[in-house]
Amino acid sequence: MDRSAAWDRYLPPKAAISEYGRIAAYELQPGEVVEECRRLYRDLPLKIITAFDERQETGAFRIMYLFGVPRENRFLAPFIRVQEAFPSLTPVIHEASTYERKIKTFFGLIPEGHPDPRSIILHENWPAGLFPLRKDFPGDSRPAEAAGEFPFRRIGGEGVYEIPVGPVHAGIIEPGHFRFSVAGEEILFLEPRLGYSHRGCEKLFETLAPADRLRLAERISGDSSYSHSLAFCLALEELGGTRPGEQAGFLRVLFSELERIANHLGDIGAIMTDAGFNFGGAQGARLRETVMRMNDALTGSRFLRGVNRIGGGISRQIPAETARLIDGELRGLLAEFTAVMAVADNSHSLLNRLEHTGTLAAQTARDHGVIGVAGKAVGFSADARVDYPYAAYGTLVPEVVTETGGDVLARFTVRVREVRNSLDLARRALGGLSAADDPVAPEAGALAPNAYALGIVEGWRGDIVYLAATDARGKISRVDVRDPSFLNWTALSYAAVGNVVPDFPLINKSFNLSYAGNDL
Amino acid sequence: MKTTLVWTIQFLLIPALSPLAVGVTRKLKALLQNRQGASPFQPYRDLAKLLRKDEVISRDASWVFRVTPYLLFTLTVAAGASIPLVSTALGNPATGDFLVVVYLLALGTFFLALAGIDTGGAFGGFGSSREMLVAALAEGGLILALLTLALLGRTTDLFALAGGIASLPVTDLAPVILAFVGFFVALLAETGRYPFDNPATHLELTMIHEAMILEYSGKRLALIEWSSANKYLLFTALGANLFFPWGLAGSLALGEIALALTVFLGKALVLCAAVALLESTIAKFRIFRLPDLLFTSFILSIIAIGLIG
Repeated sequence: MDRSAAWDRYLPPKAAISEYGRIAAYELQPGEVVEECRRLYRDLPLKIITAFDERQETGAFRIMYLFGVPRENRFLAPFIRVQEAFPSLTPVIHEASTYERKIKTFFGLIPEGHPDPRSIILHENWPAGLFPLRKDFPGDSRPAEAAGEFPFRRIGGEGVYEIPVGPVHAGIIEPGHFRFSVAGEEILFLEPRLGYSHRGCEKLFETLAPADRLRLAERISGDSSYSHSLAFCLALEELGGTRPGEQAGFLRVLFSELERIANHLGDIGAIMTDAGFNFGGAQGARLRETVMRMNDALTGSRFLRGVNRIGGGISRQIPAETARLIDGELRGLLAEFTAVMAVADNSHSLLNRLEHTGTLAAQTARDHGVIGVAGKAVGFSADARVDYPYAAYGTLVPEVVTETGGDVLARFTVRVREVRNSLDLARRALGGLSAADDPVAPEAGALAPNAYALGIVEGWRGDIVYLAATDARGKISRVDVRDPSFLNWTALSYAAVGNVVPDFPLINKSFNLSYAGNDL
Repeated sequence: MKTTLVWTIQFLLIPALSPLAVGVTRKLKALLQNRQGASPFQPYRDLAKLLRKDEVISRDASWVFRVTPYLLFTLTVAAGASIPLVSTALGNPATGDFLVVVYLLALGTFFLALAGIDTGGAFGGFGSSREMLVAALAEGGLILALLTLALLGRTTDLFALAGGIASLPVTDLAPVILAFVGFFVALLAETGRYPFDNPATHLELTMIHEAMILEYSGKRLALIEWSSANKYLLFTALGANLFFPWGLAGSLALGEIALALTVFLGKALVLCAAVALLESTIAKFRIFRLPDLLFTSFILSIIAIGLIG
């Protein structure tokens, strides 16, 4: 691969580069890393910070900081090797906070200088001093139950009280605990506590049989099954040096957009339901269902599971007749969606509930690295489909939708506009499909040894990042999964503060973050 | 004999038909939202199911928590017997005064709010707090709306009042219509309907009525659900028979009673349809906009009183 101009622009002059596909990795001394990351962060988005237990090979842990170069589809990955502790980036780059807390919890490496180094995801019942992503932790063991208490942040003052909510809720939703500090009805502070659906997924990626890993990726976050499996496929295809064909590219666009349309429609309805606008709620649920049935008709799976193949093959060909049928249905869906939104746009009581509710300040969003729908709602135009094109997004370029309000209405509007764009993209992908003539997908090759590869996919919530690494024998040694929820959860509390308690469910729904995707 | 029969109808009508009123409202809502919806008789099945179920009562619950469902049910049935349902020829000197009816219901609300905070749960606490906010503000509009009628009919006895309003000349009806609007807002607030409360929500944090009763299960939950349905039909009946008393029987003749019953069901259906339409076409209000709305109800009733010449 050619040395990218992007690399030359941002790489430090004397760095010794290891190239892994789109990634340029270079080692730094722990003392230099804060300054170097700060320099890169001025221009480039931080995509992931993760650790690798390489003590068997090199006697040290590797901590890698991955920065993307948008539009040029290149990545810079400064890394350090450490034994026990590493300098925390959080005081200068706030969005590093949860990554570093996760490294502390799962690898037992101490982020020095981190202002809030409490553990995340694992709870008090997990024994201290046991770090599940270290290689010497057996993934199939069941540690003894420990006890302890999680130190929630406390807000004092006259008339201030706490409302504990969850992890068991009145509705059928994922488990999460929210601790509100409230004066009257106004929210002064909110701390979400997650991790209840932790399943040890990252460890499982290291231990499962290769065939099962793709199925695992599909189950990281159920409503993003396709995007997660696609991100995993992209990473493995890069490691295997496989280039999926043109038809696979169009299919991947089609399914990605169908997943986005289905979830956005569901959310648009759910936001209206939570605002108490029942008509819109019922219509959203109905429209989502029509897309789920299209998924079923196309692939045999309503959630598009079992569809992706590493290498780009598909489990089932789409006959031209079905393609025409789906094209017609998509056109009909747009008409129905437009009719429903015309009713919603005319409802003052609905707009009144959505406007100025749960406003997230752009600066807060930037500090927390907010991405996806919530990011677009404050005007960030980051979108992996355009910034790091994959599948057929190089030819079918989507329009990136942004709003500026940062409130529930802005997040609602981003979804509405994305549904329209995605319907168009899906139909263009269907059109491209019939013209593409390479039905035979290449076999997935053997994985490169001692390599790192990245899969980055714009799921409907935001970009999903998979960073996979192989050992000397070309076996998967680590997969780091970064669902957009992992970042956006940190900003949710800031959107809630200052609102009244009964508006929180609406605010939460307008983010609609994944618990399972965060908890892994 | 006739009196006994009509009194039996008067006593049983509210508890017997209230689940149907709730079921019909739900069905109409479903139809308005292009959904099929459950049968209008579903609330009966739900009650039967709950009555058969075991219940769990918190260790921290006091007698208030245990007694409230029975008290609430008794109060709503007693209030149901105190308002004109089919005939103005009946009279209930014990509880037929409009102030007595309003405060019978307020007593129930008071106990329900106590039961909400009784177990110390976070949701019950804020449910009760919100309910008291709404109840305190709704009371003014409700009392004044009924007072408008009382001033027009020159009596506070509800049975006599219905007869009085029915005999008013058409030209005197403007205050009645105005007072009805004030009353309807109070009805929505008192019965936990849009835009005050969402009876169908699963979101703990937004609940008012549902938050207070989250700790209840089994038979006591059934009684509370039934009482809420009673209250809903009772308010519907108040609206239908006091503000639009035409069609009420003036005697205890069976034919007249049967006709009055039919007319009453028709009027109740119209009011249920109005509630369903409201719940399908507007979003719920933010909690801090509710006092404004209740204040409007209060003002409307005051204007209505001012209009009485």
